[in-house]
Amino acid sequence: MPLVEVIDVSKEYANGEETIRPLDGVSLSIEEGDYVSLMGASGSGKSTLLNLIAGIDQATAGEIIVAGTDITKLSRGKLADWRAAHIGYIFQTHNLIPVLTAYENVELPLLLLPMSSGERRKRVEIAMEAVDLTSRATHYPRQMSGGQEQRVGIARAIVANPTVVVADEPTGSLDDETTEQILQLLSRVNEELNMTLLMVTHDADAGARARRRIRLERGRLMENGKELQTAKLHTA
Amino acid sequence: MFGQKLLPWDYGVRNLFRRPSRSALTLVGLTIVVLLVLVVVGFIRGLEKSLAATGNPNVVLVYALSSGADIENSSIPGRTPALLSASVDGVRRQHGVEYVSPELYLGTRITTANMTEPGMGLVRGVTTSAPLVRGKVQLTEGTWPQSGEVMVGRLAHSKLGASQDDLAVGQQVAFDGQTWTISGLFTAAGSAFESEIWAPLAELQTTLKRQDLSLVAVSMDSPDGVADIDLFCRERIDLELKAVSESTYYAAMQKHYKPVRMLGWVVVALVAGSGIFAGLNTMYGAVVGRVRELATLQAIGFRRRAILLTLVQEATLLACAGAIMACVVGIFVVDGAAIRFTMGAFMLTVDSVGIAVACGVAALLGIVGALPPALKAMRLPVVEAIKSI
Repeated sequence: MPLVEVIDVSKEYANGEETIRPLDGVSLSIEEGDYVSLMGASGSGKSTLLNLIAGIDQATAGEIIVAGTDITKLSRGKLADWRAAHIGYIFQTHNLIPVLTAYENVELPLLLLPMSSGERRKRVEIAMEAVDLTSRATHYPRQMSGGQEQRVGIARAIVANPTVVVADEPTGSLDDETTEQILQLLSRVNEELNMTLLMVTHDADAGARARRRIRLERGRLMENGKELQTAKLHTA
Repeated sequence: MFGQKLLPWDYGVRNLFRRPSRSALTLVGLTIVVLLVLVVVGFIRGLEKSLAATGNPNVVLVYALSSGADIENSSIPGRTPALLSASVDGVRRQHGVEYVSPELYLGTRITTANMTEPGMGLVRGVTTSAPLVRGKVQLTEGTWPQSGEVMVGRLAHSKLGASQDDLAVGQQVAFDGQTWTISGLFTAAGSAFESEIWAPLAELQTTLKRQDLSLVAVSMDSPDGVADIDLFCRERIDLELKAVSESTYYAAMQKHYKPVRMLGWVVVALVAGSGIFAGLNTMYGAVVGRVRELATLQAIGFRRRAILLTLVQEATLLACAGAIMACVVGIFVVDGAAIRFTMGAFMLTVDSVGIAVACGVAALLGIVGALPPALKAMRLPVVEAIKSI
């Protein structure tokens, strides 16, 4: 059974009197350990799909099943708890908490999970080491470069060992050299830590690093030139 | 709400230092609001305490029927004390001395050595039996007044608008054409007597060319004694007297000042209300700049209520700091400050009630001031908020 199943999902919202439908009955399945890049033109709905899978947006129709849970059926509170346990989110603009140190930022998701302080410390140290920022643990975001901030963001996303790591344009605000470092780091997260990774990007080179490359065109998901029809397979 | 995972305490605390000047200004504003509340409550409590402390249920005041509730206008025959002693049972006695205090009480213009304009003061002509009936009066410095001398209450200078030094022992005051030397200072447990000047009755009568009295204060064995004196007053209609227990008299005064006290509480409510609006404004500013951060916390998995609690924590911490500062200023500066009013003077009282009200207002400022902006920020969809600048 796939780790992530997006079944016939639509998303629409009102823009004045006009109804916009960025996703129109899309279906997708992601296996455990996959590294999937999701590309498409601006406004094609790729970030919308990522946010739906991450549980921070609500689908208008369809089902999204992650590790056996249909997250479209969860209440807002339960969805927050589910995110804490299953999702690691990497933001384009890092979104670190400015008043917390790098260490404390990474520790934040663990505060939501039942574990001892010793276990928490151990996990944070491993995550900081994975992104090679142990020496910056006591630094505040303002004391770090953009690349370092994004590495802290990645450490924060993986520290709780989530079911899926989602990354929304993770290199969108970085220079070429730092972009390369971050992409290498994401590949290591997938290969060495065996984490399932879904990355939204508009950068073809970045997208090419993923093992599966999916495009979103006119509300439809395309892989290797064919439309994905997972939903139909499951509902048949 | 408390069963869920909360944000670290440090997060709320450090946010206060994120924009130090804004936090400092908010702190000053909150301190002023809480201090204003403390002053107004101190005024109300001081007035209440002064009037409550003055009334003794065992003491009966006998004064002229025609004077209404104003003893200053009362004039009763000089033989009234003797008649009362002879006719009424239950008057307190000890070692053959009856606790009956004939008194002449008036408001008059008084000048001290350093005053250019005379101030309106309260003078009470008394005999040595006055301290027997007015048990709370204690001589704290100097001696009982002899001929040409007076003793002054510790708040008399406030009532006159003079400095404390002007009414020190050995200084002189002048009223009704005579100069008096201050022989002693007294306290009276915060009661209205503390704003008075006491002179020997006989000499005051001579100075004023009066032979009558304003009132007779009689200490009875029990509070029921007022009925006996009341009966005496009703039987001796020729004397035109009325009897009221001292506690009833000052309770009536408290009722008289009820509108002032009510106005005080209205001011407390208004000050607190304006403080809440100021707090709201500050918190709106603080939260608007953190919309993306709050959305990030939600995306990580923190529930809205946990984030809401943190925002309330931040505002409440600031309000509590303001309350502490206001209470320190209140205790060391406001408490004991003298206030003049028609019946004399009283001291602003920063007591446990005032501090409780001030802390309550501070908590209200924190909670009510933080909730609306926090709720507004929380209502924004996470996907929108996460991209906000």
